[in-house]
Amino acid sequence: MSLKVNNLSAGIGNLCILHDIDLKIEKGTLNVLMGPNGSGKSTFASVLMGNPKYKRVEKKPYLSLNGKDISNFEPHERAKCGLFLAFQNPSGIPGVSVANLLKTSYQTVQRSDNTPSKKSAHNPALSVFKFHQELVLTAERIGVPRDFLGRSLDGDFSGGEKKKLEMLQAIVLKPKYAVFDEIDTGLDVDALKTIAGAILELKKKGTGILVVTHYHRILEYAKPDVVHVLVKGRIVASGGCKLALEIEKNGYSKWSKSKN
Amino acid sequence: MPYTSLNSLSSYRYGFHKPEKYFYKSKKGLSEKTVEEISGIKNEPDWMREYRLKALKVFCKKKLPSWGGDLGKINFDDIYYYIKPTENKVSSWKDLPAEIKDTYDKIGIPEAEKKFLGGISAQYESEVVYKSIKKALSKKGVVFLDMDSGLREYASLVKEYFGTVVPMEDNKFAALNSAVWSGGSFIYVPKGVKVDLPLQAYFRINAANMGQFERTLIIADSGSFVHYVEGCTAPIYSTDSLHSAVVEIIVKKGARVRYSTIQNWSKNVYNLVTKRMRVEEEGIGEWVDGNIGSKLTMKYPSVYLVGKGARGEILSVAYAGKDAHQDAGGKVIHIAPFTTSKITSKSVSVDGGRTSYRGLVQVLPSALHSKTKVVCDALIIDSKSRSDTYPTMDIRTSKTQVEHEATVSRIGDEQLFYLQSRGLKKEEAEAMIVNGFIEPIVKELPLEYAVELNRLILLEMDGSVG
Repeated sequence: MSLKVNNLSAGIGNLCILHDIDLKIEKGTLNVLMGPNGSGKSTFASVLMGNPKYKRVEKKPYLSLNGKDISNFEPHERAKCGLFLAFQNPSGIPGVSVANLLKTSYQTVQRSDNTPSKKSAHNPALSVFKFHQELVLTAERIGVPRDFLGRSLDGDFSGGEKKKLEMLQAIVLKPKYAVFDEIDTGLDVDALKTIAGAILELKKKGTGILVVTHYHRILEYAKPDVVHVLVKGRIVASGGCKLALEIEKNGYSKWSKSKN
Repeated sequence: MPYTSLNSLSSYRYGFHKPEKYFYKSKKGLSEKTVEEISGIKNEPDWMREYRLKALKVFCKKKLPSWGGDLGKINFDDIYYYIKPTENKVSSWKDLPAEIKDTYDKIGIPEAEKKFLGGISAQYESEVVYKSIKKALSKKGVVFLDMDSGLREYASLVKEYFGTVVPMEDNKFAALNSAVWSGGSFIYVPKGVKVDLPLQAYFRINAANMGQFERTLIIADSGSFVHYVEGCTAPIYSTDSLHSAVVEIIVKKGARVRYSTIQNWSKNVYNLVTKRMRVEEEGIGEWVDGNIGSKLTMKYPSVYLVGKGARGEILSVAYAGKDAHQDAGGKVIHIAPFTTSKITSKSVSVDGGRTSYRGLVQVLPSALHSKTKVVCDALIIDSKSRSDTYPTMDIRTSKTQVEHEATVSRIGDEQLFYLQSRGLKKEEAEAMIVNGFIEPIVKELPLEYAVELNRLILLEMDGSVG
């Protein structure tokens, strides 16, 4: 059971950003993709979720989720398969509350899923009630004040608060595979610990996780199983926890200077 | 009274026996004879007949407005000006256009309402519900009637106020309505009486209520409160191409009136409506106005702040889909000192639709220390669609506070991708963005209208993009 990327090259227009990427995220593991600014990390995260902005160089299968080819799936279809992306800078939607978005999203994602409680689908009132109960509890657990849930997504949230709201969505939607794009940027130590704790919790429940970051910081609180290094759109190194420590010490220069 | 016998005559000729069941159709086109016939059939007092005839002269003299939407295609000679409601109904469910039936199903309108809305049944079957509400209202002295009954039963009140807020000379369509009006509501709320439940035309809907040329008059006496809700979100299918209503509201000292409308006319209709409130000292007048369908809507609910400390608020939301033009907005005239007003307009244009915000705020020299704020936001969904803003601020005193904000936005690709990544189809994502955009106004509507409106937007978006 894994999310598998196979020989992916993609970019915008004639500009190729990602080159021949192979990567595998096993169920219930924590993977980290590190790299300097501009190395293509966010592009990679976005392509995994099917952002139509990016085009693949060759139209061949590149992405499978638990053995199912989802290379040509639209973003919402990928979400329904259990893929989740936490955005680095989530787009605000004026007038749409966090709770409303999550409820809609939850219902949509659940609708397509065969496994979770089919019974509640027959009684939407009950499931909405349960959903809200769970939402409030989860929010509390990761330090999201209750009134945030009723606020609009574009609201006056700080960077850190937005990250927590992204994390809240990940926990509520229970994805099979989750990609966190710079979820650690702009967080204070307490928030960082909370986020790391939530990531471990998801991992424990069996979600395969990819954390995209250029800092080592979050890894102090959530030890990765696998570390990949992305430089100039290529995976230049893969390894265990030690690799992250090495980068923390020496930076990316070792790879940046090498061949293009 | 040459027309007193017309009732019996026409009912004989057409083979109907009960006066309220007959149908009568005036000849196409507008003439003194048509107007006299209408007045005669309704057995109106002389003053109303003369009022109508005078209005007809005004109508003939007045030019079509040179601004707003394209009115050139209206053929005034090709319109029936008075039709007994049984006549303009489509005869059976299966004659109704498929897309309208489909929409009823999807919004989940009960069968009885469907038939009424589709124009098949002239009698909406909520008569029982209405009667109990009516009883409670009359205990408090509240009058809630259709306009024709209002004229019969409260002649002196009607005579005192009719045409005082919207005079027939106001504009060509106000004159037209004054000449040929039929149906609409008459409401009187006595001093200090607060009506807790919104009064809904919906409950009271019957043959006399709806028509092309409704006339509504609401009088809220000192210290009273009433919320009137008109229309519904389901598309109203009309075989008539011109709808031209007049709404007049008098808000007396310290009273408050809120008038909420959601209209979704079928796409062949010109919807040209004059709505105005006169607000006296410390009174509050509020319009919540939503326009979805029609070919062209021109509607600018107005508030005249004539008493010291009076307040006015206009919330307008317009949605223009394919081939539709919504020319909407609001108008506030500050006449007395310490008056305040706010206009909030939200418009959405999609699939080649066009929205225009047209607003006027006038602060007269007498309106010292007044405050006004105008906010208009437009959302344009695709490059085929269009939105314009025509704000006019006419401020004739320096002792006033004026604010104006306007934004135009498009749905961003990043917003779409974000919602899609959360499992929403593109059309669902767009609908969610649209619903979020109009949310500040929708939340002011009674819940069931708000829910229906949200569902309707989802349907409209689904159809337009796909």
